[in-house]
Amino acid sequence: MTQTRAITLNALSLYAVALVLAAAFAAQFILHELPCPLCLLQRILFAALAVGPILNIRFGPRPSHYAMSLLAAVAGAVASTRQVLLHIMPGDAGYGSALLGYHYYTWALLGFITAIVLLAAILLFDRQFEEDKAVLPSTGGAFAQIAVWLVIALTAANVVTTLLECGFGACADNPVVYELLKRAA
Amino acid sequence: MEFTILFLATAIVMLIAWRGQRPLALGLFAAVLIACVVTYLHHATDTLKLSF
Repeated sequence: MTQTRAITLNALSLYAVALVLAAAFAAQFILHELPCPLCLLQRILFAALAVGPILNIRFGPRPSHYAMSLLAAVAGAVASTRQVLLHIMPGDAGYGSALLGYHYYTWALLGFITAIVLLAAILLFDRQFEEDKAVLPSTGGAFAQIAVWLVIALTAANVVTTLLECGFGACADNPVVYELLKRAA
Repeated sequence: MEFTILFLATAIVMLIAWRGQRPLALGLFAAVLIACVVTYLHHATDTLKLSF
């Protein structure tokens, strides 16, 4: 795999992260389901997955960049596994609504495990780490640049919505209202 | 509040990774990841209702 192809795959992975963050927003705004503290932590770790690909696009693919995403994916898998276990007992309805039979934290666990497998798989291709500056675009081209700014914008949007939801105190375990909007009303 | 700060810190790390210095991005990423683990441990206090 050449550096150029690896960078294209990294840009695609950023679009995948953007899709996850956008889907979480869709559940929040369309279904009016506010994310719980563990749900927010999983969102943050999905966003953290994007830092490795951004560095790969900017500085070229390096094993250390993939390792950063691997660590974020493992932390995310731990957080989502805990939430699955919190609701695993028979009779427990789970937190929030289900999508195609699975709750969002179950989908998150599947997403983090998929990320771990894909990151391990892409690390198998050594040629991407060889110096190839003549081929490597400086910032990955428009396709990659749009992906980077999309992920940054969605993460920044989460700063605003989380502040509205939690306010300046601790987030509620089962949030049902936006704390800051409640105070303003 | 801690989640707002973590989202903000992650966005800043992304911006530094894209526009700033690589060592700074690596260091800040490590700090954010450690903060995430600490936040997780702080919140993961409920006993899991499991029976084996």
